[in-house]
Amino acid sequence: MSEAAATPTPPNKPVAPAPKPFAPEDEVTLRESLKRCSPSTFEAAIQFRKTANPDHVPAVVIGVIERFVEPDLRVKLKDADDDLRLIEDLGIDSLTMMEIVILVEDVLQMSINNEELRNLRTVGDVKTFIDCKVRGLPLPKPTKFLPIEHIGSVMPIQPPFLFLNEASVSSTSASGKYKITGQEFFLQGHFKDNPVMPASIMLEALGQLAVLYLLEGAPTEPGKRVSPQTIFFTGCEGVRAHRLCKPGDLLSLSVKPKRMKMPLATFEGAIRVGADKAVIAEEITLTFGFVDIVEAPAPVAAAPAPAAPEPAPAAAPLRAAVNA
Amino acid sequence: MPRVFITGLGFVTSIGNDAATVVDHLRSLRHGLELYPPFQTPDIPCKVVGTIKGFTTDSTDPEDWTFPAAYSIKRELLRSMAPNGLYAHCALLQAVADARLTPPEISNADTGLYAASGGSPYLTHYHHERLQKVGVMRCSPLGIVASIVGTLNFNLVAAFRIQGASCGFSSACASSAHALGFAFDDLVLGRQKRMFIVGAEDGNRDAILPFAGMRTLSLQTDPALASRPFDKARDGFVGTGGATVMVLETEDEVARRGVTPYAEVLGWGQASDGHNVAISHPEGHGSAAAMRLALKASRVEPAEVEYVNAHATSTLIGDVSEARALRAVFGPALPQVAVSSTKALTGHGLSLAGVMESAFCALALRHGFVPGCAHLGTVDPECAGLNLPRQTEARAVRTVLKNSSGFGGANVAVLFRRAA
Repeated sequence: MSEAAATPTPPNKPVAPAPKPFAPEDEVTLRESLKRCSPSTFEAAIQFRKTANPDHVPAVVIGVIERFVEPDLRVKLKDADDDLRLIEDLGIDSLTMMEIVILVEDVLQMSINNEELRNLRTVGDVKTFIDCKVRGLPLPKPTKFLPIEHIGSVMPIQPPFLFLNEASVSSTSASGKYKITGQEFFLQGHFKDNPVMPASIMLEALGQLAVLYLLEGAPTEPGKRVSPQTIFFTGCEGVRAHRLCKPGDLLSLSVKPKRMKMPLATFEGAIRVGADKAVIAEEITLTFGFVDIVEAPAPVAAAPAPAAPEPAPAAAPLRAAVNA
Repeated sequence: MPRVFITGLGFVTSIGNDAATVVDHLRSLRHGLELYPPFQTPDIPCKVVGTIKGFTTDSTDPEDWTFPAAYSIKRELLRSMAPNGLYAHCALLQAVADARLTPPEISNADTGLYAASGGSPYLTHYHHERLQKVGVMRCSPLGIVASIVGTLNFNLVAAFRIQGASCGFSSACASSAHALGFAFDDLVLGRQKRMFIVGAEDGNRDAILPFAGMRTLSLQTDPALASRPFDKARDGFVGTGGATVMVLETEDEVARRGVTPYAEVLGWGQASDGHNVAISHPEGHGSAAAMRLALKASRVEPAEVEYVNAHATSTLIGDVSEARALRAVFGPALPQVAVSSTKALTGHGLSLAGVMESAFCALALRHGFVPGCAHLGTVDPECAGLNLPRQTEARAVRTVLKNSSGFGGANVAVLFRRAA
């Protein structure tokens, strides 16, 4: 005990997990720290502390998050979807986030910097982050949340053919949401008196999310960026539709890059509605190209030159899409 | 100048956790003092405390606390509270219900909250100890707002979505009387239409024991003898905690909402002894000056006052000093003014005392009684001349005065009048 007091852990420095053997008194402290967490959380924590096996970390992290979520929202954590958002879905504010971090630090015997915390938006972010810390891997680039206004401003695809309401993009994946409103023009004829989202459009939506990843998340060469004008579809493999998707359904889309080598990028993609699998694509391949990054054009150049007959603000259809 | 009325009260006190129980204790002069278990060790010479019943707050973890089932408080709110914050939260819910206020009437630019507590020495101690033990970055992110002076207003203003004036007052045992006075001013000046005045204290080991060093705590082991203001054998005060909330509203709001007020607040005064950091002026100069200013501001003659709820805490010097101040202010009218200190029943609530005892005055005005001097045996000759009723008198009084004094020689006096 006096030994531990004499060599305090410097704050904000990652430390190797459990440098000394796990003693019985550590178990007592651990049990006290986790007294409001589920028994499985305690079990995972004790296994981690004894074996330093990082496979136990996700169960500890989810268990700690669960303890700080209001009881009526805890059900959302049951099928721990990595896209589950800490603030919007779980009601966790920044102070609660600190409580979570302090307990995780205490239980896993690690230290976390303030700056490292700012970009953790989803349960998946937290799991990946802690996993990287425990394994000593470089930390992933933070996930960016992109609202519809941002998506509309960067994408070469525009309404009424844009099938993303919002998206989150990191360096390793992208996820997005699209709600089928029933107002989509093609549902008029697909099918007669029976609107069903075409599978080809769902594949298109996954392709659009992959485009967004290339523009916002993909690693580039120094001084270069991916040009929206260079991205096109080349092929897909292993596409299966599992579920009819109809107006009112909220599509949860996700893509992950499998291979990326100029000029081809191959992704795997999936769409779910709630817990149901809707579409799987084993491979979607796009072509892309780089352009040099140039200084941002002067503001004048950004002003739309030709006066449209009905000068509706550019963002209006995008907003409509999000509000629909 | 708009008139100001008391329209709601809430209590978590050693003599009851609702107005009806408090009235019962004030009428029957049953005290709320007990041998306090944490003090029953050889190293602690004082034994008696005005305890809060129905709550347990002895853990440093608010999620371990228990409180009456009538209150449901989310973890999100509880996590940043000190024990006095929990008491005050419950008292505020009572006061809101008592005043029949709707959520929009609580949360608007015209409704404010002034609060007074000594913070939470208990949680301050705990969080500082953790700082040393587990390191700076492993301390609870809410430790600071749960423990420092101001914890009461931080928590209540956020929890009840208060949008008007908010502030904490710190003049020790005069704090919540100051809060009441300045709330009255804000209403009179038209800055606010409604004010909550909150006083609360933890009333536990860490809040009370620091007074032992000053030798101001009673060492009596019999709870019925420990708090005896104005008694010749008194030997110090008995600590207590809990909370009281008072709702003040302008006459326009009272009329608009059609509520029956407890009493009118006529005015207040304050003055300082300019004498000693902790000892009252021997002649009670500051206290007398505060009373005179309150009477003048309220346009009330001393002879109109029928009851004084004294500050008297049962300390040797303080009670005498206040008795001298009362003699000086009331002069020939002194025999007609009933004087008692309800601290004989509750113990001394420190920052809570001013608003708690003002709320007792409001109850006395509404229900028509004058609280008696509990536990008073032989009156200290130094306090001779005061009219100290031994029993609670069932009689309607019209005008009452409340005294409060705190460290540094701060003195506040407030005048109340029966509504209509």
